[in-house]
Amino acid sequence: MASIGLSSYVEKDSFFHTINPLTKLVILLCVIIMSFTLSGFVYILLLLLIIIPIAIKSKVLSLTFKPIFKLSFMFILLFIIQGLFHPYATKKLMDLPFGFTLWEDGLLYAAYIASRLFVMMVFGYWFVLTTHPGDLVSSLTKIGLPHALGYIILTTLQIIPRISGQMQTIIDAQRSRGLETEGNLFQRIKSFMPLLGPLFMGSVQQSVEKSMALEARAFSSKGKKTSYRKTNITNMDKIIMTITIIFSITWGVLSWIL
Amino acid sequence: MDIINFKNFSWKYSGYRGWTLHNINISIKKGEFIGIIGKIGSGRTTFCSSMLGLVPHFYPGIMEGEIIIDGVNVKETSISELSSHVGLAFQSPANQLTGAGTTIEEELAFGLQNLGVPYEEMNKRIKDMLKLIGLEKFGKRSPFELSGGQQQKVAIASVLIMNPNVLVLDEPTSQLDPLGTEQVFDMVKKLSKKGITIIMSTNNINYLSKFADRIVLFDNAIIKVDTPNKILTDIELLKKHSLTHSDITEVSIRLKKMGLYKGELLVNLEDLKKVVQGLIK
Repeated sequence: MASIGLSSYVEKDSFFHTINPLTKLVILLCVIIMSFTLSGFVYILLLLLIIIPIAIKSKVLSLTFKPIFKLSFMFILLFIIQGLFHPYATKKLMDLPFGFTLWEDGLLYAAYIASRLFVMMVFGYWFVLTTHPGDLVSSLTKIGLPHALGYIILTTLQIIPRISGQMQTIIDAQRSRGLETEGNLFQRIKSFMPLLGPLFMGSVQQSVEKSMALEARAFSSKGKKTSYRKTNITNMDKIIMTITIIFSITWGVLSWIL
Repeated sequence: MDIINFKNFSWKYSGYRGWTLHNINISIKKGEFIGIIGKIGSGRTTFCSSMLGLVPHFYPGIMEGEIIIDGVNVKETSISELSSHVGLAFQSPANQLTGAGTTIEEELAFGLQNLGVPYEEMNKRIKDMLKLIGLEKFGKRSPFELSGGQQQKVAIASVLIMNPNVLVLDEPTSQLDPLGTEQVFDMVKKLSKKGITIIMSTNNINYLSKFADRIVLFDNAIIKVDTPNKILTDIELLKKHSLTHSDITEVSIRLKKMGLYKGELLVNLEDLKKVVQGLIK
């Protein structure tokens, strides 16, 4: 399996890996819009009932929820800070020692924000896990993303790991000439400076050579371009998109009526 | 029929005083294998880039004279358009990888996508090209996971896939190990046999003597154009331009000194083998 630089894409043979990236993007956008417009956090959290079967079908269930566990500390902090220090709190839940008070509306507000983040992160990460960056750019280019911008998106994913590799080479080279890279924070910041010059100059020089290599492959040729990655919008994609949009509107209206 | 024609071509980079290339006149026939030798800074890279139009379109400077390649005038044609006539491979394999392709197949497809080649045709050409460079099994791998020699082969293949009639290689083996060098030369030899015109800048005299039809010695101008045997055994000339002769030539010089061999100086391993075999008998 080919690793794709920074992308977290996981190659799996599943239905959701094969559908058009734009369809998945529509699902993601609907979820984001819903998480800002639904009337309460319960409605938002219920969206998780949808992602679980989807993630199982995509064979990435445990991975999909991984960022949540990594960021659980942030969620805990959110509840503590909002629960104790919510600025417009009026409903008291209980008194705590040292004169602190736990506010009910503070906790509610935290739950609202947390559920929003939670749902967006889970859906967003599911999107990244199942969408090959090449497919995404290819399908976006088809609906009007400029060709050059698409190239920048793709190449960034690949080039940043390479630059950090070069950084390591430069660090080793400078160390072998006696540069102190360990020690306290101040020492480290100081030793960082001599690394930037070579890294920056090297990158500029490389990008000149790269732009020549791109020209040698007709990068700026005018006329219609084709794509090696097949990304067609099938009827299935249209059906899924329609269902998603209808569901989102219904759910949004329901949340405000009920 | 001449496929490449330089007429009184001169080039000066803006900001530099002297002419990097001065009064270049050379005609190259279709299917020829031309080796270019010369010390560092002798204008070989500029000569190579002029064929794809990087000089004068990419770099600022002053151009005189005319270059006609594959029936098109370089000065009046854009680089992108020239790229379907001339393929140019550079020194560093990694910098030639676009980074847009996550697999070797996509890397090869990059140029074809830009030219708007339909999918089926693209697929066929990629399969053929992978076979030619001997990386059929690696098609789905990331190009960054390959060895230097393999990367260089992918880089050459990625310009070759656009079906140019001329392939220009600028020091393609200078960053490779001996095995990688051999892989690249073997591939270039194959291409030459298929009838592609090859211009290769390298100071790897041993390989050039085997494959090249003609050698061009550069030193900011064309000093001499001749067959490998004539140029690569002209020790004085090579020395004057900071180059050295090959070990094979050195052996033939010593044999001559010892009185064991009386013919012309040798540059080709096969010729030397014959002489030595004769001596043993």
